[in-house]
Amino acid sequence: MIHLRDVTYFYPRATVPALAGLSLDVPAGQFCAVIGANGAGKSTLCYTLAGFVPHFYRGKLTGQVEVAGVDVPAASLAAIAGQVGLVFANPFNQITGARFTVREEIAFGLENLGVPLDEMRARIDDILSFAKLTELAERSPFALSGGQQQRLAIASVLVMRPPLVVLDEPTSQLDPIGSKEVFAVLRDLAATDEATVVLAEQKLEWVAVFADRVIVLHEGRIVADGPPGDVLASGDLTQYGLQPTRYTQAARAALAAGLRRDSAELPVTLEEAVEYFK
Amino acid sequence: MTVNYGLYVPKQSGIHSLHPLTKLAYLGFCLAVSWVIPGTWTPYLVFLLGIVPLSALGQVLPNILSGAFKAVLPFAISLFVVQGFFWPEGTVLQQIGPFSLKEEGLFFAIRGAGRILMAVSTFLLLSYTTRPDELTLALGQLGVPNSIAYVILSTLQIIPRFQTKATTILDAQRSRGLETEGSLRVRARALLPLVLPLLLSSIVDIEERAIALEVRAFGRQGPKTSLLVLHDTPWQRLLRWLLLLAALGVIVWRIYAALAPRFLS
Repeated sequence: MIHLRDVTYFYPRATVPALAGLSLDVPAGQFCAVIGANGAGKSTLCYTLAGFVPHFYRGKLTGQVEVAGVDVPAASLAAIAGQVGLVFANPFNQITGARFTVREEIAFGLENLGVPLDEMRARIDDILSFAKLTELAERSPFALSGGQQQRLAIASVLVMRPPLVVLDEPTSQLDPIGSKEVFAVLRDLAATDEATVVLAEQKLEWVAVFADRVIVLHEGRIVADGPPGDVLASGDLTQYGLQPTRYTQAARAALAAGLRRDSAELPVTLEEAVEYFK
Repeated sequence: MTVNYGLYVPKQSGIHSLHPLTKLAYLGFCLAVSWVIPGTWTPYLVFLLGIVPLSALGQVLPNILSGAFKAVLPFAISLFVVQGFFWPEGTVLQQIGPFSLKEEGLFFAIRGAGRILMAVSTFLLLSYTTRPDELTLALGQLGVPNSIAYVILSTLQIIPRFQTKATTILDAQRSRGLETEGSLRVRARALLPLVLPLLLSSIVDIEERAIALEVRAFGRQGPKTSLLVLHDTPWQRLLRWLLLLAALGVIVWRIYAALAPRFLS
């Protein structure tokens, strides 16, 4: 689904590359989380997958970027649009402003793709219930809370059924309740296995629950890559400016205090922690 | 907050359910007649016979009258003063000090105000009885570019958000001790700390919204579909063509009438 080879990218007038010789392969159906400190290149990677690097931001891109069978640097943004769905942090800015209700807002992408009316209606109803927005369907998109708006943004992208969905810190501007609502939708998305998902995220506790694979970015490079249990419990996280989940921290504290002697795998989720401390 | 449709007044009426282009054609015809047919009182006659009954049918007559009155009054006053008193020469009706009110100027002002009345009231009748998205959809089907529809629709929704943001910035700067009230100099000095954050954050917003639009295939060429369905009937299509022809006929007749004497003599 994703095939990146030696990708290096400089933003215009930048002297330090945002991506430095990055190679990555993601098979179809995988839910892949990208973690890393601020400035590690998470957003740039997301924009590269969706074609906004280099088509929107310009700058200098070298290497091979192939997403959903599309040669990204050679294709136009319009050609990539149906193939890659992008959701980013600010929920308000993802509302087009060209439609007056939540239902019509979701329809906007389908209208542009020329989806026939009957199919459009069916797909909108499906996605409304998937994102738990059915009751809000006739409201103004601007009258929603941040969490609801972000679910709307996700629904608006998912309804277009792009083979690849990219989410760039979708909860970073939301309150805890809004974040929880969005993560609930992402967990359902992970469970369907229909779409390939790349999620850039700082909240490792959530990543640990539903990612198939975790990639750590540092200074535009991949420095760790593997199943969440391995990557998130590794001792290297702090040197990349990341804080392990509180479950891992608690387990490590217990080890240090001599409460636990066994060399069992450190927990990264609540369930694993319960198991670990039994 | 309920859905904000701009000027649209939601009512159940035959006028509301007409196809937007039918209304557009009818109003275009009225406008052509009122502007082109000579006569001081022509625009007022068209207003009374063409706009008022339809406004009543559409249950927006009070809105039209008050809206048109408010919009036309300042123009009418300035027309009356400028044209009535500063008409170069003509029949003097009334002498007020050094100024003389002239008949020709007065009639010119009345006709001018009538034309403005027609321009305003046709715009208002269309806006009050037509949802903006239905209008832009109809225009899009005529071949008007998508981006123009986007500008019209997003303006209605994003400008109010812009105002909210301006208020937030104003409050934030005030809470940091910025003086925004007082003499002109104090106010002028407060301008930059208000405008700059608003402008910079808006640029970021626009960049992100452009990305969001591209993600939703806004830039894609080729046929588009619409969730919104416009109700149209054969007789409305016929009526539109007739109105369009009639409007063109009136204009052509007027041009002919103006030019013919010159060619014939």
